[in-house]
This record gives sequence, C-alpha cells and structure tokens, in this order.
Amino acid sequence: MRRFPRLPAVGPLREGFWRSPLRGPWLASLLSSALLPLIAVCAVTGFISHLAYQPQLGSNAIFNGPGPGNGFDLYGLGWPTSPAWLYAATQGLHVVSGIAAIPILLAKLWTVLPKLFENPPVLSVAHALERLSLVLLVGGGLFTIATGVINIQLWYPFGFPFVPAHYYGAILFVAALVLHVALKLPLMLRVFRERGWLRPLRDDLAHTRPEPGVPGVVTSAPAAAAAPTLTRRALVAGVGASSVGLGAMAAGQVVGGPLNDLALLAPRGRRGAGPNAFPVNKTFAAVGIPRDRVGSGWRLELRGGGASPTRLGRAELLGMPQTHATLPIACVEGWSTTQHWTGVRLLELARLAGVEDPETLEVRSLQPHGRLARVTLNRGQVQDDHALLALRVNGVDLSLDHGYPARVIVPALPGVHCTKWVGELVFA
Amino acid sequence: MIAFRREYGAGPVHLLAVLTSFAIAAYALSRVFDLAREPARVGLWLVGAIVAHDLVLFPLYALLGVIAAGAIVPEARRSRLRIAALNHVRVPALLAGLLLLVWFPVIAAKAPRTFMRSTGQEVGVYLDRWLLVTAVLFTASALLFALRVRRLAREP
Repeated sequence: MRRFPRLPAVGPLREGFWRSPLRGPWLASLLSSALLPLIAVCAVTGFISHLAYQPQLGSNAIFNGPGPGNGFDLYGLGWPTSPAWLYAATQGLHVVSGIAAIPILLAKLWTVLPKLFENPPVLSVAHALERLSLVLLVGGGLFTIATGVINIQLWYPFGFPFVPAHYYGAILFVAALVLHVALKLPLMLRVFRERGWLRPLRDDLAHTRPEPGVPGVVTSAPAAAAAPTLTRRALVAGVGASSVGLGAMAAGQVVGGPLNDLALLAPRGRRGAGPNAFPVNKTFAAVGIPRDRVGSGWRLELRGGGASPTRLGRAELLGMPQTHATLPIACVEGWSTTQHWTGVRLLELARLAGVEDPETLEVRSLQPHGRLARVTLNRGQVQDDHALLALRVNGVDLSLDHGYPARVIVPALPGVHCTKWVGELVFA
Repeated sequence: MIAFRREYGAGPVHLLAVLTSFAIAAYALSRVFDLAREPARVGLWLVGAIVAHDLVLFPLYALLGVIAAGAIVPEARRSRLRIAALNHVRVPALLAGLLLLVWFPVIAAKAPRTFMRSTGQEVGVYLDRWLLVTAVLFTASALLFALRVRRLAREP
C-alpha cells in the first residue's frame, strides 16, 4: 500500500486532544441504529408527499425531473382518497421523524467528530473516496434537515426554491447514506457482537471506562481519556428524551386536541376559539385578491363538455343538495386540523357542467399569483362521495382566510391542493 | 486483483459502490443547480451546513462544556457532588440550546411579516415561550439537585 503523509500533530490533529471517555464505536453504532429508522421513515414519507401532489396531472408539478415520487404515476392509480387521514399521517410522520432525528444526529456527529481530524488524513485512495462521501453524507443530511426545519417556520432565507432543493438534497443524502450503511454495517455488527447491543448501558459512573478501539480501524475512541462525568446510559437517555420531546412538540400539531398544547414552540401550536379559528397556511390578505371579487358579485364558473360556462352564485350553490363531511386539512408543513365541512359534491357540479363521468378537474383560484393557483385532481378525487366545494365550516360560513366564498375539500388531498377562493372548475 | 487492492486500498466492489453513490449525488446536484436561479447559493448552504456544525456549533458548545467542567469539577477536587452539580447545569443548558437551535426562526422572529401573512398570528410569542421553558428546565434541575444534595448528606 502506498504511504500517505501525516500532518503535524497540532490542535485537534493531536491524539490526546479528544478527551471524552464516552466516545467510541459502540456509542456511534447505538446512535446510528436509532437514527437510521427515523431517517428511513422521513425519506420515504417525503417522497410519498411528492407522489401525493400528482405532478403528472395538469400544472401540478412544482418542478420537472424524474425521481422518487416525482414525474410519474405509481401503478397508474393516482393518490387515493381513503383513508381520509392518509396525507395527515404520512406528512405528519415526515415532519415528526425529521425533527425527532435532530438530537440523535447531533449526538452522532459529536461522537464521531474526532474522525474528521484523523491523522494521516488519507490512508488510501479508497479511504479518500470514503471521506469524500462523508462530506456528501453530512452536508446532505444537515442541508436537508435544516432547510425543512426552517421552511416549516415560514422563514425563506435560502435564495433558492425550497421544494426542489429539499428534494434533491434528500436524494443526495440518501445516496450517501446507503453507501455509508453498506460500508459501516460490518463494523457495527462486530462492535455489537463484541460489546453487546445494550450492555455498556449497565455501567454506573465508577465502571464507565473508555471504549477500546477496533483493531485496524480508525475509531472515535479517545487515546487519552479524561475521567468520566457522565454515564453512557445518562447520555443515551438524555438524547432519547430530547428526541421524544421534540417529536412530541411536532406531533402536537398533527394530532391536535389537547396534544396541541405540547406544541409549545412549534409554529402551529396555538388554538383559537370559534368555528373558523383553526390554522391557515395563507391568509386572504397575503394572496392579493381584490375584496370586491369575493363579494356578492362572485360567481363560480363551471366549464366542461365544450359548452359555454355555467355561472352560479353562492345563494344558488347553497340551494343545491348539501353534503356534510368531517375531514382533515393536512399541510405539507406537518400540521393538520380536522373540521366539519358543508358544501356541494364536486360530482354534482360536474353534471351541471355537462360532464357525467369526469376524468380530471382543474380547480382555478381567484388568487392572481402562485403555482398553486391552479390544481388538477384525479378521477377518484373528483368522484369521491366526500369531495366537496365547501361553503360552510362547523355550521357557519367560511371565513375569508379559509377561502370564502368557496373552497375545495377532498379526503386525503394535500392541504395546499384544497384550493381556497375558487373561481372556476374545469371538468374533463 | 491483489495489485488493485494494493493500489486502491479495497476491493473493486467498494469502488463500484462509491462511484454509484457519487453518480446519483452528481445527478441530484446538477438538477438542483439547474432549477435554482443562483446555483452558488445551494452550494453555499451545502458547505455552510458542514462549516456551521463542525467548525462553529460544535467548537462553541464543546468549549462551553470544557469551561463549565473546569470550573465546577477541577481535576484536584473531583467528587460525586461536584459531578452532579456539573450535570445539573449542563443538561438544562443543552436542552434549552437544542430548543433554540431547532425553533430559532420563530424564537428569533426572523420573518414576522411572512409569519403573519401565512398564519394570521403574531410570531412574537415564541421568545417568551422559549424563555419560560428555559426557566422551567433550570429551576427543575436546581430542585432535583437540592434533593440529591440532601440525600448525599444523609448517606454515611
């Protein structure tokens, strides 16, 4: 094997620099085995969210390009409408698992940080490539989680579009993670075989000793450890409790009810009083619709079958048979809220437009800007018994912020596709 | 084969796996660079994330940890009580720091206008809530420490 040079042993490159007796391959392995399932759930539900947007329909695609969940229709089935809480569950899991992963990820990075300064920095070409892939792993992981966490708090300092960056950042992260797991799994299994999966958790402070390194492998175990001030079980319990606590904060926004009070610092952790007091993702003031366009002169335009459009006012819509449905609005930002909606079935409106068996529906909002001003629904969504053009919620008229004069609500449809301030429905 | 291992440092499957991973990563990067109006900003955030953690956040909390340990548990005066005191300081500090890190955008009210226009609510409450949670964490930790001190004092 070729010899690569050592760097001068100064600062963190010095063997004795890293002193914590808790660092080592066993701790790294234990944290990894907690982190991996969380990341897996987060990644899968994230790709599912792209699938739920149905980018193959109309102008739904937020960006173009093939990838998991994007640009194709899995099995040609489209996104289902049952169970109604499907998107609330998948997207809730996405945000909860991602946030719950943060303390474990930070602890894992703390554990292995000495390896960033291993000396000599390169042992072989293979080793150099592995270290390069760690740049992608750590960079991709921190990038994906950070952009997600910042985005759900409604701060957009990126200077690039969030959705494709978060999506392709995740692909980069997953590609590096699969390689990392493949390369490190043998070491992890060996460490668990030698040290036991949980055995080091039994040690009290007097018995907490530095981990031995693994022969022939550069590990994070310290060469000259300080005396311990914390047991491994206390460290693991603290990291676990932080993860559960942060996860519960995020989950409070999904589950709602009294659990909502757990979401103390989460952006959607506040409940108001009154039938229209549930959360919104965009206020009326934010979208720039002139006030008179949603007044008494508002008419819903129904198109389809090539005939001239049918126009209906709110009074006419309220005169039609009304359907009641208790359905969640589930936001991509990981909060959801279940309310009792009243309105006209979309299928009923399709028949008025002269389309008996609609394949798709394009919903056009009065909002002048934004990618989501036009949304296309699939056949199953238009024809579902509980797919409504909602006029009322919880027994009162919709408020302006919730989409007055009329909004779409469809079971399991992502919240941003439940268009508010509807102006036109185009059936095909 | 032996020559390959000697030159490369691992088997050919290793090289194949690494190159596959790099190819996917390169594809993802090229897509996001295509879609971003300022591709350099994506690169900045990718590298910035590593720098922010490895060279700013980690050294910062590690240094604070070393200072706290040096002040509360000096090598010469190591005792169970002093170690407990250290942990009753650093555990609530780490938890409060973690909450600040994760919910920084709302706690620091980084985008009050966007927050109001999106949710219809004021973002200002989060700083108060974080301060409250932090105060509760430190108080609870101090009370638990007081109980431990009493128990230690009663032990022979």
